[in-house]
Amino acid sequence: MTRQEAEQKLKSIFGFDRFHDTQWAVIEKLQQGKRILLIEKTGFGKSLCYQFPATQLKGLTIVFSPLIALMRDQVQKMQALGIDAGYISSQQPLEENAATILAALDNKLKLLYIHPSRMENVEWLETVRNTNLAIAMVVVDEAHCISTWGHDFIPSYRKIVKLVNLLPANFPVLATTATATPRVEEDIKTQIGRDINAVRGNLLRPNLNLVVIQVQSEEEKLIWLGQNLSKIEGTGIIYTGTRANTEIYAKWLSHIDIPSVFYNAGVDTASKKEIELALMQNTYKCIVSTNALGMGIDKPDIRFVIHTQTPISPIHYYQEIGRAGRDGKPSFIILFYNPNEDQKLPLSFIESARPHPNKYAKVLKVIKAERLGFQDIAKAANIKSSHLKIILADLVKQGIVLEAVDKRSIKYEWKYGAQPLDTKEFEELKNAKLNEFAEMLHYITTPSCRMKFLCDFLGDNLPKDCQICDNCRQRVVSVKITPVWQQKLTAFIENDFPVLEVGNESIKMMNGVAASYYGFSQVGQALHRCKYENGGDFPEWLVKQTLKAFGKYFAAQPFDVVLYVPPTESGDLVKNFAEKIAKALKINILHTLKKNRDTQPQKKFETNWLKTDNLKNVFYVENPQEIAGKCVLLVDDIFDSGATIKEIGKYLASQNVACTVPLVIAKTINADLRKEVIQTSSNNMGVDLQKQVQTPIKSPEDKVLSLLKKWRTEKATELNLPKYMVIHYDTLRTLSEAMPSSILDLLDIKGMGKVLIKKYGQEILEIIRKSKDETNN
Amino acid sequence: MKLTTEIPYWITLAHLPKWGAEKINRLVVKIIHENQLSLETFFNEESIWNKSFELTAADIADLQKAKLELPNNAFLAEDLLAQGFELVSINSPAYSKTLKNNLKLKAPTVLYIKGNKQIMQEESIAIVGSRDADETSLQFTDHIARIASQQYKVVVSGFAKGVDKQALDSALKYKGQSIIVLPQGIMTFGSGIKKYYQQITTGDLLVVSIFHPQATWGAGLAMARNPIIYALASEIYAAQSAESGGTWSGVLDGLKKGRTIFVRQPLPGEKNANALLIEKGATPVNQQGNPVASAQTGDSNAQPVDKTKENLVRITTLLSEQPLTPEQILEKVPLNITKAALAKLLKTLPQIQKITKSKKVHYAISQNTPTLF
Repeated sequence: MTRQEAEQKLKSIFGFDRFHDTQWAVIEKLQQGKRILLIEKTGFGKSLCYQFPATQLKGLTIVFSPLIALMRDQVQKMQALGIDAGYISSQQPLEENAATILAALDNKLKLLYIHPSRMENVEWLETVRNTNLAIAMVVVDEAHCISTWGHDFIPSYRKIVKLVNLLPANFPVLATTATATPRVEEDIKTQIGRDINAVRGNLLRPNLNLVVIQVQSEEEKLIWLGQNLSKIEGTGIIYTGTRANTEIYAKWLSHIDIPSVFYNAGVDTASKKEIELALMQNTYKCIVSTNALGMGIDKPDIRFVIHTQTPISPIHYYQEIGRAGRDGKPSFIILFYNPNEDQKLPLSFIESARPHPNKYAKVLKVIKAERLGFQDIAKAANIKSSHLKIILADLVKQGIVLEAVDKRSIKYEWKYGAQPLDTKEFEELKNAKLNEFAEMLHYITTPSCRMKFLCDFLGDNLPKDCQICDNCRQRVVSVKITPVWQQKLTAFIENDFPVLEVGNESIKMMNGVAASYYGFSQVGQALHRCKYENGGDFPEWLVKQTLKAFGKYFAAQPFDVVLYVPPTESGDLVKNFAEKIAKALKINILHTLKKNRDTQPQKKFETNWLKTDNLKNVFYVENPQEIAGKCVLLVDDIFDSGATIKEIGKYLASQNVACTVPLVIAKTINADLRKEVIQTSSNNMGVDLQKQVQTPIKSPEDKVLSLLKKWRTEKATELNLPKYMVIHYDTLRTLSEAMPSSILDLLDIKGMGKVLIKKYGQEILEIIRKSKDETNN
Repeated sequence: MKLTTEIPYWITLAHLPKWGAEKINRLVVKIIHENQLSLETFFNEESIWNKSFELTAADIADLQKAKLELPNNAFLAEDLLAQGFELVSINSPAYSKTLKNNLKLKAPTVLYIKGNKQIMQEESIAIVGSRDADETSLQFTDHIARIASQQYKVVVSGFAKGVDKQALDSALKYKGQSIIVLPQGIMTFGSGIKKYYQQITTGDLLVVSIFHPQATWGAGLAMARNPIIYALASEIYAAQSAESGGTWSGVLDGLKKGRTIFVRQPLPGEKNANALLIEKGATPVNQQGNPVASAQTGDSNAQPVDKTKENLVRITTLLSEQPLTPEQILEKVPLNITKAALAKLLKTLPQIQKITKSKKVHYAISQNTPTLF
């Protein structure tokens, strides 16, 4: 097909008059069955390079993409143009996947988008192997995810590499990315092989106004934002380094009447969707997020991207700031840097990117002994999910462990004759990451053009300076702290109390409150000193701060009794603290909440499953009649996973308390923490936090669990069976935690065999679906 | 990496509809052995199909159709490898020499395997028999498997109920090694792999299938699998056979091919077709697996092991690897007989022929067909 013929078709199908020269060069090569790596900035029109050929080639074009949201958008766009496109995702109903598969098998689809993970594959691998299905081309979107040297390596992308290597010669393959350093480019080319040609465009974003602001403390960052954010036109994103900071920054901005909301990996899916929508509709001035937000966000008018924490490499930074100003209009890119503090987090992230080799050995020992799924390995090896994911990805990558599909769930197997683990690559990777971080620090301190610095790093040597960054304009932006702003910030810090999301009607528990976050304003250090360095009782200021938190939310709530969590290893600290609280609040204290056996410190357990097991049925109250019908204020020092509070709540409910409210000194933020449910914490945002805290809110999981229990009771009565014969309680609990949405998901649930699924699968899914809908509404 | 890229081509070629192993293997010999080409090159250069390979128009049409399936088979191959299965092609050094020697050009073009593939190179015995074998036969099977395991011989069986299952379980019980030859595609054997995970990871078990990885069990596949069990073994023991069915036809087929097959001599009153198989040329053995002088039933007294029979099997195996002079044979197998007696003995074996190599008389397995690699 000549360019002229192709452009006629382009006009009739896509409505564009012509291709860019680079686009046509790529399309021409694909038509010849070549392999191409296309590195072009966002907004270039990379997608057209495969979407157009897909409409012309005989057969199906398969597009691997890591982002479900992006797949969905692309499919909608294609369908709007009258192009038959579909996507397969574990997040959409079984029937929709089945319909897509049927359409593919009938050769009715031109484009099929798919996530490369094996679970999605189970759905469609059967289809794609079916020799009646003609496959025309394979596309690898976000191809930098192939490379461990890249900024966003996705383990399941190694499947794509293997697949592409197995595809016949003269079969067209297109890999696309917006961000690849020369090293990543080489790595992709080596991995995909077969004379792949790279096409690299220029990466300059002339409308991005890059600024670095050096500060001396976190407070200075907060104050600068308070003073200046409203002056920046439009809406944007603030990236923080931790989940806790997303909350703190969003609360601060809300506190000073700048509409904002926090977003991080812990926010539940429904809330995430709402926030993403709010971003598109400019509901908030800014979304404060970890890097969980961004990939796949296609908003043309993000006017600012601000980082409160230094990213770990220029490539991460380039990608994150690339979300701003896609419409070409001027946009502000600000990076705060505190030379005293801001190297610690990225360095610790790089240092701890891989768990200790002992943990690899533990996992291997478990897998060698038995073929297990993820959860069972985590339990057997006592390794937290985030670490286990890394370990398994490495073991699979090195061919030591296999991911076998067993009844549509993944089981890990040791491969007979596998080589021992090679940790040399880990060291090399770590050194490369350290070098990249050093480059990021150079970006901060460079006196030259910042855009040129980034483009040079990415292998695109910019012939001239951008003329608009702070260095090009020779402007130094700094923070000016005024007494008014200092006061505003102090008032905020002293009144910011994290909510404990444990509300659950079935155990009569209400959301509680903490005096502070563990790592904020010295609270963590004070607790640590008292607990582990013989620092004596918790200091009075902590008592006062806790009373203040209590006063903010529960001043009007009558309590009958104070109970406190019995200690595992910190002696009478919590008892003494609870006595002070009870005395100040003039509430009767009981010393009767006990444990019927010794338990391990919760922090010993890396997974929530083991934490829950550690405490199961351990608590009891001497003279339980003393608490029946009473409203209990339950005091503890640190709230981590919430497992302890919940277990006690469950027991207290069984003793007919009227209500339980937890009050703690500090709330930690870590990967295993329960999902945050609220979107914002400020009355200014139109959300009545007071109401949220005081109303017993059930977490979505607890709500599902109680509905499932109710259903089980009814079913047992109907069938005249004991309840456990219908379905085991542990299975119900797992269901409520996993919230499966399809039969496929059910197969992953321990205890849900085929028979149970056949008997009750649909009913269970319906209960979960309804509950989710209600929660979302 | 190069070998891995060939896998989709092997899958495509090995399952060409209606071609059969022999026709496919002849083409493989031409591509790899005679023309020194990779399968990828062969598939990419259609122009040479007619010129250099003298393929008919119908054959070329079949290959062109199969070529369209290569991308699909690439997806299959990726999944196959990701789940720890391997494809062993007939030209691979890992391919069972015993199997190749026994079946020659009729050997499966590819084997799909999981586990310790080195097991395929070990000395092996097959134990076959009925799905509903009686206790005596199961005891016999257990005994043979025990002896085999003690002698470091691999027990080959078909993973059916009865004798097959007993053979496998006993071999593993006695810490021996075993090969399961599946009557189905290897990717449909999830439950078995789960069950025998320990034995696979310790290297004591190899799972083999010759069928398309996704083929589900079928009677036809079970029948087609039987000759592979026989051919993977140097020695064959039948525990119990009915007058029809897999064991019956398998033993007769083996005898027709000149294999020595040891059939358990039935005890008085046993209702099976073992005696009939012995009449048709199978070698009777007693409950301990030792050959008995005659086919008379009822005598299960332990007799001294007939070393001659065993030694003949060893000679056949040795010659299947390479031609040997009489001296070399006597060196490797302690028969304690003269060269003349050896010559006489070898004459009785149908598949052995005399050849002259380097001006010396050698004995070799008769080659009526071209060699594979």
